Amino acid sequence: MNLTELLEQAAKRYPQKPAIVEESTVVSYGELVTQVGELARQIRSLHIGNGSRVGLAFPNGIAYVALTFALWRLNIVVVPVPTECPEEEIEEIAVAMQLAGILTPKPRTNSVAVAPDCYFTKLNPATPPDNHGLNLAFIRFTSGTTSARKGVALSHETIRDRVLSANKAFGITPDDTVIWCLPMAHHFLITIVLYIEVGATIILARHVTAKPFLEAVNHWKGTVLYAAPFHFSMWARDNSAAQIPSVRLAVSTTCALPQTVADDFFKRFNLPLVQGLGVIELGLVALNTAASREKWNSVGSVAGGFELRIVNPDADGCGELAVRGPGIFDAYVAPWVPREEVLRDGWFFTGDIGRVDADSFLFLLSRKTAVINLAGRKVFPEEIETVLNRYPAVSESRVYGKLHPHLGETVEAEVVLSSPDAKLDTIHAFCREHLASYKIPTRFTIVAALPRTPVTGKIRRAAPVA
Amino acid sequence: MIEPQEIETKLLDFLKREVFAANVVVTPETDLIASGFDSMSLVRVLLFIEQSYGFWIPEGEITGDALQNVRSLAATAARILNAR
Repeated sequence: MNLTELLEQAAKRYPQKPAIVEESTVVSYGELVTQVGELARQIRSLHIGNGSRVGLAFPNGIAYVALTFALWRLNIVVVPVPTECPEEEIEEIAVAMQLAGILTPKPRTNSVAVAPDCYFTKLNPATPPDNHGLNLAFIRFTSGTTSARKGVALSHETIRDRVLSANKAFGITPDDTVIWCLPMAHHFLITIVLYIEVGATIILARHVTAKPFLEAVNHWKGTVLYAAPFHFSMWARDNSAAQIPSVRLAVSTTCALPQTVADDFFKRFNLPLVQGLGVIELGLVALNTAASREKWNSVGSVAGGFELRIVNPDADGCGELAVRGPGIFDAYVAPWVPREEVLRDGWFFTGDIGRVDADSFLFLLSRKTAVINLAGRKVFPEEIETVLNRYPAVSESRVYGKLHPHLGETVEAEVVLSSPDAKLDTIHAFCREHLASYKIPTRFTIVAALPRTPVTGKIRRAAPVA
Repeated sequence: MIEPQEIETKLLDFLKREVFAANVVVTPETDLIASGFDSMSLVRVLLFIEQSYGFWIPEGEITGDALQNVRSLAATAARILNAR
């Protein structure tokens, strides 16, 4: 199957219905199919082979959605490239994912125009990618380390399965209007693709500050909000009298929801914030729509056909979460590891530690993985450490998340210096050259040595510090 | 009392150094949003102010007016800081 069928079926049912609204431009489902067809025709003339991988480096917009479906129609694998990536990171993604090229809204050296404000830069991967016979649609590039697995690959069928499964929890209907503010390069499949499959309307909010955002919600009679605690916190503190009575579902995603934000938002709008558990390898595992006030810190009970197991629980019932269900990822990409080799008897071990209460509500206690969540964006410590360790005067480093009441976590670093003359300013400037701005640690600490695990001698990963 | 100009200078330096690309011209009057200032840039600025002056700008103060340009942002920060 091909995911463009989901769009085409929605367009058959609702040809006139607005699919996406960006500023004053309203694109109906019928028009979106036409745009996708036109873009696919232009891209076809570039002679990119079936199963090739193309980087999509676009900001949020109608073009982002249309290009994704156009690439899918041509059986090209979409690899999102966040627009905040500096050139060096783009090159890293291009090499690791063996990109045949990259699509950008502005011309680059040797690029060719595909459509207005859309340019293709052909790249020549050293070896052509091998998708091992899978009908791949999407690869999420995940990290910049040499040791970690780079990239999670999903086929058209996998994405369809997880989209349908996620909607058993979200319950999005054609009558829904979603007010969207998160970066599509980080959030797309069980959100944007799901809204399109259902035939809902997506409003792209240009401004996330309280006044214009709340105005947009009311102007478009938005029914669904999907944002980070940072956003909800900002809107909760709006001191106007504006209410948002049309909203029926407000999902807080990307990092644990602080209680103050949950309470403040509820007080301000009389609307509970709903948390869930999304995992790139799995899709939407759980969503707490059933008891979002009473059990505000639970990610809910398992959703849409997933099964959950707590492995080796301790006396309090806490243990590692293992999950199985529909739409599990197809493979890690570099190096290629197929799903079958990752799963154990069909179960995916998430690395998260949690417990399940008597009412089957799941509570997450800590994450085994060290990903830092900064106001809705995932930051991989290893990637920043790799850059820091390349600086001549840094012999080793450790990057960790620091809990922040408004942002989830911020990025901090400990460095061991090999030269006493090294200056933190120059290390900072070095980071600026090689990392997207938000990945630069907000605080550096010079330490004599880093904590290591006793057996393997690996640098010990810390849970976020308070 | 802290002068808005002092915050303005520091903010401008920070934005040029850490938020905007080298080829973007930023003055105290530059329209921030039109220059590509997004929600991640806002996070960076709020953290910078928190680190430099030891307080978090309350979310209710983060309005379109405050985010118009560096001057309005600095004036907002100075007003809150001086009221503390």
